[in-house]
Amino acid sequence: MSYDAEKEKLNNRIKEISNFYSTNSRMPSYSEIGEMLGLKSKNAVSKLVVKLEQLEVLRRDGKGRLIPGSIAFPLKVLGTVEAGFPSPAEEELMDSLSLDDFLIENQTATFLLKVSGDSMIEAGILPGDMVIVNKGQAPKSGDIVIAEVDGEWTMKYLKKRGDDIALIPANPRFKPIRPKNELKIGGVVTAVVRKYQ
Amino acid sequence: MDSHPLNIRSWPRAILHLDADAFFASCEQALNPELKGKPVITGKERGIVAAASYEAKARGIKRAMRLSDVKKVCPDAVILPSDYETYSLFSMRIFEILKRFSPVVEEYSIDEAFVDLTGLRRNFHCSYGEIAAKMQETVEKELGINVSVGVGLSKVLAKVGSKHNKPHGLTLIPGKEIHLYLEKLPVEKIWGIGANTAAFLNKLGIKTALEFARRDEEFVKEHFSKPYREIWSELNGKSIYPVTTESKNSYQSISKTKTFTPPSRDENFVFAQLSKNLENACIKARRHKLSATRLIVFLRRQDFRNVGVELKLNRPTAYPGEMLAILKKGFKSIYLPTTPHRQTGVVLAGLESENKVQLTLFDDTAKIEKMSKIYNTVDTLSKKFGKHTVRHASSLPTKLQAQHEGERGDVPERKVNMFKGENVRQRLGLPVLNVNV
Repeated sequence: MSYDAEKEKLNNRIKEISNFYSTNSRMPSYSEIGEMLGLKSKNAVSKLVVKLEQLEVLRRDGKGRLIPGSIAFPLKVLGTVEAGFPSPAEEELMDSLSLDDFLIENQTATFLLKVSGDSMIEAGILPGDMVIVNKGQAPKSGDIVIAEVDGEWTMKYLKKRGDDIALIPANPRFKPIRPKNELKIGGVVTAVVRKYQ
Repeated sequence: MDSHPLNIRSWPRAILHLDADAFFASCEQALNPELKGKPVITGKERGIVAAASYEAKARGIKRAMRLSDVKKVCPDAVILPSDYETYSLFSMRIFEILKRFSPVVEEYSIDEAFVDLTGLRRNFHCSYGEIAAKMQETVEKELGINVSVGVGLSKVLAKVGSKHNKPHGLTLIPGKEIHLYLEKLPVEKIWGIGANTAAFLNKLGIKTALEFARRDEEFVKEHFSKPYREIWSELNGKSIYPVTTESKNSYQSISKTKTFTPPSRDENFVFAQLSKNLENACIKARRHKLSATRLIVFLRRQDFRNVGVELKLNRPTAYPGEMLAILKKGFKSIYLPTTPHRQTGVVLAGLESENKVQLTLFDDTAKIEKMSKIYNTVDTLSKKFGKHTVRHASSLPTKLQAQHEGERGDVPERKVNMFKGENVRQRLGLPVLNVNV
C-alpha cells in the first residue's frame, strides 16, 4: 500500500475513534475499537493504539485504559497527522465566510431566479442575471421583492407609506404599479449574481 | 363501554408526524406560481401519474393512472416531467426546518418525517399544539408547500393524526381522545396493517382500529405476532417504535432500474442500460462504503413480463469491473433476442461493510489493489466534474437511443434553463423559481 493510502487509512481510523468519543463522551475499549474498524485481533488494535499514542492522538492511563489526546479536539487532529503542527494561518481562517454563507442567510428559505425582464435595470439587475430570493423574510419598504399583483408576477422596489403600497420599477420606461385588488409577496431579493465566464 | 378513554394521561409522550401534501406536484406549484390552483401532474417521463395536485385529484385523477387516460378525464391538466433534483432539495429543507425545533427528527421518506417533541413545551413556552402549528407554518411559509401534521402518543397515532385531515391539516390526539379518532378508522388504514392482516382481523370480528385497540392483551398475544402486538400497544398510546435520527446509510440492498421508450430489441443497447444501472448501483454502494455479495439482474419485456436471475459474486465488491463478466452471463441467460425489452434493473444484495471484507487465500490481491485505485480515481473525477465523467465502455451504447423518445423525452425546466457555469451533470443546490420577471 502506498504511503498516501496508508496515511488516509490511519486518518479515517482516527476519525472513527474521534466520532465514538464525541457521541459517547468516553473512549472506546480495545474490543470496541476492533469491532468499529474491522480489526479481528486485540494485537492489531494494540499496535494501532501504540501508533496513535506516538502521534499524541490518545494516551493510556496506568491501567492501560485510553484517555483522549488531541482526539478530543477533532479539528486539530487533521493538523497533527497531516501537516505536523496546526499552523497559525489555519486558526485565523476558521472564522472566514464561504461565498455561500456570504450570499445566503437562511438556506432553507432561499431560492434562485433567472431574470428575464429589464424593469430593474437601474438597480443593476439585467436580463439573464441570477437573483437570490429569501421567502422567509418579512418585506420592508425599500426592499426589492418578487410579487404577484392582480395575477401578474413582477420584480420591483416595494414602497410603503402608511396604507399606501406601490411597486416601483428601476427603469424610466416602466410605470409604478399600485395593486388594485391583490398583492402577494413571494420573497425578498437579497442579492444579484452575474457570472461572466 | 365505548366512551371511556384508552389512555388517561394527555401527553406522556408527544410524537409528531409530518406528511407533505401531493409533494411532487406541490414543489412544482411552489416554484411556478402560475400552476397554483391548477390540476398539476408529474411523471411525464414515466407515462403514468407519479403525483397529482389536489386540484387534479378533485377531478378524479389517481396515482399510477396512465397519462393517456388523464387527458380524457382532465384535458386541461398540466403534465410535467419529474424533477427529482428539486424534490430532493425540498425534502432536505423540510428536515432541516424540523431540526430547528427538535434534534430528534426521523427522515422517514422523501416527504414524511417523525419528530419527538416530548419535553419541548418548557423550552418553547407553549403547548405541543402550538409547537406543531409553528413547525407547520414555518415549512409552509419558507417552502411554499402545504403539509399535514399529526401529533400523538406514538408513531402509529401520530400517523393517524396526519392522515385524519388532509391537506393542510393539524390534528392533535391527546391520550384522553384517542378512542374518538380510532372509532371510525377501518383497521386497514392503520400504519403497518396490510390487506391480509386486515382480512384476518375482520374474520375475528374486528373492523375498526378502536375495536382492535380495546381487545385485551391475552387475546392479542394469542392471535398475533410481535409486529401486530406492537401496533396494538402503539394504538393504546404506549409508544414502542422509537424516533430514529440517523440518516439512512445502512441498506439491505441497493437497486437501480431504468425504463426506456420505445422498447428496444437491440441487444447492445439493452445490455448497456443494464451496465449503466450496475455502475449507478456501485456508485451508491461505494458512497455508503458497502460491498455486495450477490447480484440480481432483471429485464422487463414488452408484454410487461419480468424475468430475473440471481448471481453469486466471487468476493464482496462494489466495483463494476469485477462484476461485468458475471452480469453478461446472467443477461445472456434471460435475454430473449426475439422480443423487445422496456426496462432493465440490477439489485446489489447481501451488502456488507467495505472495511469488514476479508480477502481469501485465492484472491488476486494485486488486481484488487489496482481496481480500488482505479475506482478511487473515478470517484474523485466524478466529484469534480460530475457523475459518469468516466464510465465503462459497456454502458456507452445507451447513447444509441434517447432514454425516452417522443413526448416522454421532455426534461424538467431546471435541466434546460441553466445558469452560466452549470452543466448537465452539476447544478447549484438551490431550487429555482420559474417566473418571468
